[in-house]
Amino acid sequence: MLNPLKCFGKYLGRYAGIRSLHSSSPLSHDSLFVHRDSPEDNPDTIFEFTPENQKRVDSILAIYPEGHKRAAMIPLLDLAQRQYGWLPLSAMHKVAEILKLPRMRVYEVATFYTMFMRKPTGKFHVQVCTTTPCWLRGSDEVLEACKKNLGIGVGETSKDMMFTISEVECLGACVNAPMIQINDDYYEDLTVDDTNEILNDLKACKKPRAGPRSGRFAAEPLGEPTSLKGDPPGPGFGVRADL
Amino acid sequence: MLRSSLIKVLNGAKVSPKHVCVTFRAASDVAKKPEKIEVFIDDQPVLVDPGTTVLQAAAQVGVEIPRFCYHERLAVAGNCRMCLVEVEKSPKPVAACAMPVMKGWRIKTNSDMTKKAREGVMEFLLVNHPLDCPICDQGGECDLQDQSMAFGSDRSRFTDIQFSGKRAVEDKDLGPLIKTVMTRCIHCTRCIRFASEVAGIDDLGTTGRGSDMQIGTYVEKFFMSELSGNVIDLCPVGALTSKPYSFTARPWEIRKIDSIDVFDAVGSNIVVSTRTNEVLRILPRVNEEINEEWLADKSRFAYDGLKRQRLITPMLRDNKNELTPVDWEAVLLTVCKVLQQAGPNVAAIAGGMADAETLVAVKDLLNRLGSELTCTEHVFPMDGSGTDLRSSYLLNNKISGAEEADAILLIGTNPRFEAPLLNSRLRKTYLHNEAQIAVIGPKVDLTYEYEHLGNNATAICNVLNDNCPFSSTLKNAKKPLIIVGADLLKRADGAAILSLVQSIAAQTCNKVEGWKVLNILHKVASQVAALDIGYTPGVSKIREAKPKALILIGADEGAINKEDLPEDCFIIYQGHHGDLGACMADAVLPGAAYTEKQATYVNTEGRAQQTLVAVSPPGLAKEDWKIIRALSEIVGHKLPYDNLNEIRDRLDEVAPHLTRYGEVEGANYFKQAAQLLQEDEEKTLDDSPIDLKIKELQDYFMTDSISRASPTMAKCVQAVLKQKESKY
Amino acid sequence: MAKFFGLDKLAYLFRIMKENGGIRSSLYKLYRMDDLKMGTLMGIDKCGNKYFENNRYFFGRNRWVEYAPKYGTDYDASQVPSEWYGWLHYKTDLTPDKDPSRPIYKWMSEPTENMSGFSGAYIPYSTTKPKIEAWVPPKPS
Repeated sequence: MLNPLKCFGKYLGRYAGIRSLHSSSPLSHDSLFVHRDSPEDNPDTIFEFTPENQKRVDSILAIYPEGHKRAAMIPLLDLAQRQYGWLPLSAMHKVAEILKLPRMRVYEVATFYTMFMRKPTGKFHVQVCTTTPCWLRGSDEVLEACKKNLGIGVGETSKDMMFTISEVECLGACVNAPMIQINDDYYEDLTVDDTNEILNDLKACKKPRAGPRSGRFAAEPLGEPTSLKGDPPGPGFGVRADL
Repeated sequence: MLRSSLIKVLNGAKVSPKHVCVTFRAASDVAKKPEKIEVFIDDQPVLVDPGTTVLQAAAQVGVEIPRFCYHERLAVAGNCRMCLVEVEKSPKPVAACAMPVMKGWRIKTNSDMTKKAREGVMEFLLVNHPLDCPICDQGGECDLQDQSMAFGSDRSRFTDIQFSGKRAVEDKDLGPLIKTVMTRCIHCTRCIRFASEVAGIDDLGTTGRGSDMQIGTYVEKFFMSELSGNVIDLCPVGALTSKPYSFTARPWEIRKIDSIDVFDAVGSNIVVSTRTNEVLRILPRVNEEINEEWLADKSRFAYDGLKRQRLITPMLRDNKNELTPVDWEAVLLTVCKVLQQAGPNVAAIAGGMADAETLVAVKDLLNRLGSELTCTEHVFPMDGSGTDLRSSYLLNNKISGAEEADAILLIGTNPRFEAPLLNSRLRKTYLHNEAQIAVIGPKVDLTYEYEHLGNNATAICNVLNDNCPFSSTLKNAKKPLIIVGADLLKRADGAAILSLVQSIAAQTCNKVEGWKVLNILHKVASQVAALDIGYTPGVSKIREAKPKALILIGADEGAINKEDLPEDCFIIYQGHHGDLGACMADAVLPGAAYTEKQATYVNTEGRAQQTLVAVSPPGLAKEDWKIIRALSEIVGHKLPYDNLNEIRDRLDEVAPHLTRYGEVEGANYFKQAAQLLQEDEEKTLDDSPIDLKIKELQDYFMTDSISRASPTMAKCVQAVLKQKESKY
Repeated sequence: MAKFFGLDKLAYLFRIMKENGGIRSSLYKLYRMDDLKMGTLMGIDKCGNKYFENNRYFFGRNRWVEYAPKYGTDYDASQVPSEWYGWLHYKTDLTPDKDPSRPIYKWMSEPTENMSGFSGAYIPYSTTKPKIEAWVPPKPS
């Protein structure tokens, strides 16, 4: 919205010889780094680990030596996020209480890592990679397909709290680009149709098959191998004859 | 939190071999006393201990390396990169604050590489720092300003203003004392480190990452600590500035007068900044022996109380029973008549902010009138040797001595609010010296962990009779420390408790030369001087004597009220604030506050220090001892001193240490004091719970006539109460 | 002849003294006003000041005021009311009683004399906050 204003400002600046208008950039990150109370997320939100998760908490804590229990913070926050779907303030408080740490130390960690979702997130968190390799292989189309299929934009959550789309940086599957990550699963070598199929399966409560969609097993070349086709050479290969 | 790992190791929990190795190595280091290593700073050779950082080594030869995040009293963070210097044969510049020197290193603090590194760092800092120095309160005393002048590039390549702009960060509300402009923050994290290490309030932290990183509390929370004001001094830029001082003055406009703080018995060294005869702010002055470079919030921010509720003209109670302003002549003549009629039936009570000069003048005057009734408002047991032996009422081991202690027993005191700077030392001891701390008294938050032994006199007996595990810790400790609060000794069984504590102190195996176990922590600035001069602690004697005239020297704590005195008792109040004392007075003599007079105060260690005149007393107010001197002449018993030097000579006569400024006059008669106290008749212990006047932060801010008149302190109390209701 | 010896001036002096009410009165006026003049009485204002004119004197000295006896030696130019001011300063040759064109409005206030240096002096109230707020003793209940 500010762009026309800026252009106008520049125009003024150029032709009227006065200083151009400028605005400071908005926060470049899509999430806030301060807490704001909301109906879903406030200190009164009830969060307790379920009995099974409580057992997991104990076993996580057991890994770390006495005096270094605070290292269990990230696993515990992750556990809380898995249980609740996202990470409300009261879950951070709970983790601080378990680890006997000041709450601020937990806030610091939870805000640092982008994989901790500090606002309500859908059951399926669709993370579309748009970094260069995926982008070259058509991640824009995949993202567009996701948006169209789910009827929500990037960073939004569907009303039924089932889907959230986010645009993420490289997820380390460049060889199978383009790809999306939904919760813990990678869906790779995608086309628009594959994307729609995956999302429709999820909507129908079916679990789509994770992995490459191009018929590849993993990161091997598509079709025939193009190199290293012969038998592996034995010892002494390429060594000078006189040695 | 900072110490938990080490506690666990000490408690003998499962220790990994790595830990054992570390502790073993540390122990052997101490034993061996490693030899010094030689390094070269700009080709100057210097011998330093191993483990010294490049920055410290440079400081030894007087080369100052610029820094933002490094602070000698805080942990090393190494995140600002301003201290990058070149080390010969190192491909990259190294961060001087975090890098320990190696043998033979040649450090170049002025080479091209160093200069380029500094300019680069400065350029990056300034990319996101607003150019608002003209409206910034830090302007003129800003590290970033100074260092960009000294070490920055002489031109800017920053032309991006029109496209993406500078980073902008939301301001945080940290309470009524600290104003934040977070856009100015350069992420040095000094405030965070101060909060978690010194203040013990882990409320500040960094949220987010990369260029979105912010310093703050994440949730809406005030930074409420009794030491919070120090982050203002620590902040190298204008991100954290003083709210009461905001937009008041520039540093080059103000006069700075060195003085002494009187809001607690610690006697912190302060600098009073004034302009046009007005106190604008108070800053700490470095004194390693007392306050290091910190200052408690009450001492720092209660100065606006000096401008309100002041007594600026003498007053007399007229026939309508109203206090009406009169001139000095009228009030002095009236008071003189009263004193002459009363004869020896005169008494005086000294309040918490009375200076030694006034105390001695009042005592001399009363003695000449034939009265011995000079008392202090705050009680101290008079049984046994009473206050004859100084060792029984001083913080004998000194404030800095607390840092070396390894077992500390706090009895009936809340040092966090009674002496915040002593508490910061105790916290330091707790963190770095692995001190075991135990408390007898109400359970309060002291910012460090302690063992709570009980809340009554029985708990003290238990420690004495080996009935609790801490007693063996205390007795086996190399440097044990017992700190007794003045509040506890106020009780009827104060003497019995003191006797018990003396016995505990005598039991400890005290092998260290000059180490003194027993320490008394006073709450007010005047108490030690008053006891040194020979005032009687407590006002019970005055209640019995039924005097005809009573002089209150700034006594506002309501130790005595009109019902305790005979109907015809004439009350003279001399002080600087209209408070309880002035309300009940028949004559008011306006005196000077601590910023308005050159006066001697003795802190709880027995260290005499003097305040200097920063501003003149308001209206008709005069320096306190001069009023007494003028009065004595009219009464007909002229005191033999006409100027400050002469009254200081008199102080010197009474107690020579009172004029040895800056030095502690030690006392060491513990055995004799204990014997004398035990020889006294049998004392009974009262087993009711120990109560303290100041238990929580909201009680801390308004404790005396100045802070009660201060709007800032009132706001602090409000803020603490608001914080208590908040869920965060 | 008398003129030649300056006797007419002496006679004039005697006339002035006679006009001013004799030796005693003349000496007093000389003491009070540092001047002794004779002229036509043009009028008396509300305060009792008398206004004289004598064109024998040079312009600038030919109109003068003799302040009312009640002022003693504490007379001051601001004691001349505004209606006489104009005549005295040659803004007009008509004395107030002979000048019908002078506007008279309801809102015109009585002239006041300048009280600077006296207890009635005008002192504007301060617009700055006092640096020190004094304690006000509570009223006894």
